[in-house]
Amino acid sequence: MSVEGVSAIFGRVLQVGDVGSESDFFTLGGDSLLATRVLSAVAREYGVELSFDDFADAPTPAALAERIASLR
Amino acid sequence: MSRVVVVGAGLAGLTAATDLSRAGVEVTVLEARDRVGGRTHGIEVAPGAWIDAGAAYLGDRHTDLAKTIADLGLKTVPTTMRGQSRFVLGHGRVTREGRFPPLSAVALGDLFDRLDDLVQRVRVDAPWRSGIPDDETAAAWAQRELTRPDARAFFPLFLGEMMAADPADVSVLHMAFYLASGGGLRYLNAFEGGAQDSRVDAGAHQLCRRLADGLGPGVVRLDTAVHTIDQTGRSATVHSASATYTCDAVVVAVPPALADEIRLLPDAPVRRTTPGTAPGRAVKVHLIYPTPLWREQGLSGWSVNADGPLMSTVDDSPAYGEVGVLTGFVTGREATRYAALTPAEQRREALAQAAAIFPSLPEPTGFQVSNWVTERYSRGCYAALLGPGDWNLLGPHLTTPHGRVHWAGAETSTEYFGLMEGAIRSGHRAAAQILAQHRPQQA
Ligand SMILES: Cc1cc2nc3c(=O)[nH]c(=O)nc-3n(C[C@H](O)[C@H](O)[C@H](O)COP(=O)(O)OP(=O)(O)OC[C@H]3O[C@@H](n4cnc5c(N)ncnc54)[C@H](O)[C@@H]3O)c2cc1C
Repeated sequence: MSVEGVSAIFGRVLQVGDVGSESDFFTLGGDSLLATRVLSAVAREYGVELSFDDFADAPTPAALAERIASLR
Repeated sequence: MSRVVVVGAGLAGLTAATDLSRAGVEVTVLEARDRVGGRTHGIEVAPGAWIDAGAAYLGDRHTDLAKTIADLGLKTVPTTMRGQSRFVLGHGRVTREGRFPPLSAVALGDLFDRLDDLVQRVRVDAPWRSGIPDDETAAAWAQRELTRPDARAFFPLFLGEMMAADPADVSVLHMAFYLASGGGLRYLNAFEGGAQDSRVDAGAHQLCRRLADGLGPGVVRLDTAVHTIDQTGRSATVHSASATYTCDAVVVAVPPALADEIRLLPDAPVRRTTPGTAPGRAVKVHLIYPTPLWREQGLSGWSVNADGPLMSTVDDSPAYGEVGVLTGFVTGREATRYAALTPAEQRREALAQAAAIFPSLPEPTGFQVSNWVTERYSRGCYAALLGPGDWNLLGPHLTTPHGRVHWAGAETSTEYFGLMEGAIRSGHRAAAQILAQHRPQQA
């Protein structure tokens, strides 16, 4: 479990390279449809099922990684 | 080459006619209905306030459409989607920010991952060469692939909204192709920045009206349904009940099911549909209010509903003027059921559901139903739906002329298939084909 891992998921879903740990998913062009694809990847890779509201509250790799860690 | 007959005065036919006419060809456009526009049609809901009974939305990737809009001196207006949405998906009524339904985000993400995997694999220019097996329906695919209840519940709603299709109506290949052709999942689904970013100010029907006007008087003949195209002689003759037109080439710019009703002499080796090709099924229900009252209540007017008739609602209020319009979309099997009701029953069902979704709104002051299911001269709305095996059989011949007969229409464009953009691109392509094949006698 790492911030880099979550950054990589963001990058894959948004099809952009190098997502900084403090970058906001929605500022990078993400929308709610793409957010669900981050959450399905998180569920696959980390075994944690987050809700859309969890994601809206923690839309950066750093914040989301923290949320994931707290639930594992 | 001097004379061309265009069959169908929708966007595709009128685009082809305009290009040919500009190239010096003498064009006649034959239209079955008593109006031009086909699957675009305007309704005046209040003096000077027009809404779209048919096609409405467009996005920035619809570049040929944008060019037509600009050339005709028309404008676009952004769709407005501010405020909270309503969801009635079997767990009561939920109000929340944005268009995201209150279902498991992981389940929806999983659904979109699987759909996107198909979208990435499909070859838009030649779907039958994608290597995706073309032997099953989207319903069978969903049954196998989707295990989570929320994904299973949402999938038919998503397909209804995107394609006016029931999962049983389309092949999994056509679904994948359609989503890819329209720009992918995110683009097709999005309002702002996506395929529903804007509308034509005061109605998309104006495009066809102005294109027809630009062709000059007498070029477009209304109430003229073509039943036969005969090219056994030295030219082509196009037959309607009242007249026969002789020409050097024909553009058939009608939906595929209607193209197949036209008798071709000699017959074409491959027709435009198979028994497995289904019509898209859509009804738009327009609820008219004195103003967009929901906006004052912090609501966007967007709702998604598990039960019909109104599977979703959207704020379709004209950009200028006071009047507020909520358009409800009825799609797929539910559209067939709803279309068969009496006008009184249609009204009662829609108003009862609107009151359940938006209890804070008064009864609408106006009510209109745009029933495309029973339109004699559309037969597939938003568009035709290809079934298992169809792409393999029909795809290679999509744009291949049959002698002097050239094919146009939104279903003949692999780019933006089934959309206004696809229709316009097909019209340009058909005109270019004719001009290249049969050089005009003099420039
Ligand atoms: C409810 C609804 C919503 C839609 N929403 C959107 C949207 O938001 N955005 C978008 O881009 N697209 C949308 N579409 C799709 C869009 O309307 C079509 O892709 C496009 O208008 C098709 O243009 P066309 O010229 O290919 O066919 P048509 O518009 O169907 O034109 C064909 C013409 O041929 C005529 N005709 C048929 N048979 C004969 C005959 N035998 N002889 C003579 N004439 C004949 C018909 O009367 C018609 O006028 C929607 C469609 C519907 C119905």
